[in-house]
Amino acid sequence: MLAADITGRKFTAMRAFVLRRVLAAIPLLLGASLLIFLVFAFTPGDFIDGNINLTAQRAAELKALYGLDQPWWLRYLHWLEKLLHGDLGFSMQYQIPVTELLGQYVFNSFLLASVSMVLYWGIALLTGVLAAVQPYSLFDRLLTLAVFAAMSFPVFFLCLLLIKWAAVDLGWLPVGGMLATGSDTRGWAYVHEVAIHMVLPVITLVMLQAGGLTRYFRASMFEALAMDFVRTARAKGLKERTVIFKHALRNALLPMIALAGFELPALFSGAIITEKLFNWPGVGHVHIDTLAARDYPVLMAFTLFLAALTILGNLMADIVYACVDPRIRLR
Amino acid sequence: MPLSMRLAIKLFIRVLVCSLSVVCCVHAETIRAPDPSQIPAEAKARKNTLIATIAAPQGVFNPYLISNGWDENVTAAIFGNLVGLDRQGKPVSDQAESWTISPDGLVYTFKLAKNLKFSDGSPLTASDVAFTLTFLYDPAYDGETDISLAHIKGGDAYKKGAATSISGIVVINPQTIQITVTEPGATTLTRLGGPILSKAYYGKNYQKGKLESLRALSNKPIGSGPYVYENFVPGQEVRFKANPYYFKGKPAIENFIYRITTDATRLQLFQTGGTDIESFPVNSDNIEQLKEMGFANIHVYPSSDFSLIDFNHKKPYLKDARVRQALIYGLDRKKLVDLIYQGNGSVANLPIAPLSWAYNPSGVNTFLFDPAKARALLDQAGFKPGKDGVREKNGQRLSLTLLATKSQFNDALIPIAKESYKAIGVELNAEISDFNALLAKRKAGSFDLATYRTSGLSDPHDGVKDFRTNENKFGYGNPKVDDLITKGNETSNITQRKEIYHQLYQVLANDPPCIFLAYRNILSASNSRVTNYQPNIYLGLTGILPELRLTGAK
Repeated sequence: MLAADITGRKFTAMRAFVLRRVLAAIPLLLGASLLIFLVFAFTPGDFIDGNINLTAQRAAELKALYGLDQPWWLRYLHWLEKLLHGDLGFSMQYQIPVTELLGQYVFNSFLLASVSMVLYWGIALLTGVLAAVQPYSLFDRLLTLAVFAAMSFPVFFLCLLLIKWAAVDLGWLPVGGMLATGSDTRGWAYVHEVAIHMVLPVITLVMLQAGGLTRYFRASMFEALAMDFVRTARAKGLKERTVIFKHALRNALLPMIALAGFELPALFSGAIITEKLFNWPGVGHVHIDTLAARDYPVLMAFTLFLAALTILGNLMADIVYACVDPRIRLR
Repeated sequence: MPLSMRLAIKLFIRVLVCSLSVVCCVHAETIRAPDPSQIPAEAKARKNTLIATIAAPQGVFNPYLISNGWDENVTAAIFGNLVGLDRQGKPVSDQAESWTISPDGLVYTFKLAKNLKFSDGSPLTASDVAFTLTFLYDPAYDGETDISLAHIKGGDAYKKGAATSISGIVVINPQTIQITVTEPGATTLTRLGGPILSKAYYGKNYQKGKLESLRALSNKPIGSGPYVYENFVPGQEVRFKANPYYFKGKPAIENFIYRITTDATRLQLFQTGGTDIESFPVNSDNIEQLKEMGFANIHVYPSSDFSLIDFNHKKPYLKDARVRQALIYGLDRKKLVDLIYQGNGSVANLPIAPLSWAYNPSGVNTFLFDPAKARALLDQAGFKPGKDGVREKNGQRLSLTLLATKSQFNDALIPIAKESYKAIGVELNAEISDFNALLAKRKAGSFDLATYRTSGLSDPHDGVKDFRTNENKFGYGNPKVDDLITKGNETSNITQRKEIYHQLYQVLANDPPCIFLAYRNILSASNSRVTNYQPNIYLGLTGILPELRLTGAK
């Protein structure tokens, strides 16, 4: 009865907490949107300025048609008004609604990022923990060396090396893209084709990301293993396996929750260099292109989307914290 | 050492080390594939499909709504033009079989080719041409085409709402249309003779002032060009099929694909047979690598653009023509061209590429690198070396700001210019930004010099039109130049125009509006299974697409 009561109270506290945090996110997002808008509005040049061939008269006409002749605050208010009606606007460059445009590319980035994320979290967890269990062993030292080697590779170089070996010399994997040119595959054949095209970019991303994360896991696990309760557990006569995976690991994972929260926006933002080199049709290059073209509606929408995901990721991390760690009270 | 410096040195060493094959700048050159047996299996397996490449199409496949050159390439294959260009950039008949221009240059009568059809099988008639031109005068039209430069009679009245149609556009019969303009213009012919939109298709739900229905068709275009649009896979490719209704007959290659490629891997993709036609930055490294592949036909052909440095003539110290001339004499452009293009470019002195019919450098000052002459000119202009070696006059130091973008070209230009100018007592500071910001800063007038490359120019008028006093935003003005530019644009007689531009180029050299830097060649390679591929910048790929064949095709 007591336990149920505590759970109930905790649930009520959690609901209030989530509500408060969501409400607090609104002014935060508004502030972020204003800031983002100001940065873009005060960057020299706009969508029309980039066209060198226009006469002054036609440029002025076009600026009026696109509303670029208005003061920045009026443009911001227009944008905000549309946003409140659920309209993210219309891309100047692509001439389709921003949501439709992002929809064409965000999924591809998400696919690549999520697969690599699962892999490098898994690898980092495994290697990090194993290294911490036997600190300063040969395995630990070799791992540290490998980790730093992988991290220090420039992305550009790594991608080109992989392409040269696997695609050009051996001919095992495609040079780039997400599908073979002119391919009409459907169903499982399609899945297979995409998977093959994903191998190299995923290897690149895993190599670049797993290293740092392994260090985090190792440090966290190392610290947990030095705690008093681990000594107690061992003194109780528990099996070493139980001590490590049940007592130490669970505690070592807590700080990783915050890190995982930060990964949420990274799932959707697109790995710009890797995507570019492997010709992956992700959102990264769209973001860069729209920046060069000063396509404000897309820039605003996408940057704000990432800001919202950052806030959401943090909130989720806090909630998960509260769920798994009874010591934490949400206020 | 700054990165740009290191790169420049690296490039310089490469120039010294490589013994260069001398490639003439004006003529296209083709190196035949030494060993076609090395064609990769992937390419051989594609029996009736040609894959060319493109950088970043965005899916706006309407020739009048596009905002970048890649979408323009896609629409060119789908729509074609009424008036085409030949290999020197002269207008030639295409979907318009012929035309006449009245002696005063104000009345254009186009006769359309027989059997001209859209890819849905419906006939293309004069009323489609009228619809297209009228649409461009829509007050809500927000595309990049500026039809006002054609000065069609009654166009402005229609745009302002004073008329419901344009009086200067008259459909004479389904095959003939007459267009009256209020001002003669040498580029009017190609402005009027662009791609044609089907009235039945694009005009179905369109009303003046409301572009939505027409814009919604940008992802399902229908045109009268050699290929029919099939689909667009964003970030991947654009697919086409041969147009069975194409007025010159269905193109021989059934399937055509524009595949999206990036700088980093275009060579590898071509090498593994993933693409059939691709272009590369022109340098000896790339040519060597292509030669080694064995199956590549290598084409080096001149481009129609050029690079330049704009002067801000509003700055008092740049008003004196002697100072501007000194800045040209004092800049080692030859070194720059050799470094960057490695024998595949040349120093520019005229605002038109050597390929054009209007190019005639005889008698035009070549401004060969001459620091002594540059110093003498600056002395004459009253700029004397100050304490720190930088010249000054009445307390005004010759310390100049150069706006530039980040590019390999500018990585070489900036150190060379700094060094050359230092030797004549001029200080140079470079300000790097992206192209959009560069143009905005240039427009705001906060610069002395600004460098960039023009877009491809087909008519000589396009190279000089901004030098007119009332068009120039940076304070350049010369009555004689104004007069010659106007004359050159008033007639479409090529012989007369040649003479006018030749005079103009000589006048411009004496009162330089800017520093012309370099012409360049383009390097492209084709898999030797593709035959009849003779690229030309004015024709573009679309212009030669119907003639291409694949060996081993069914």
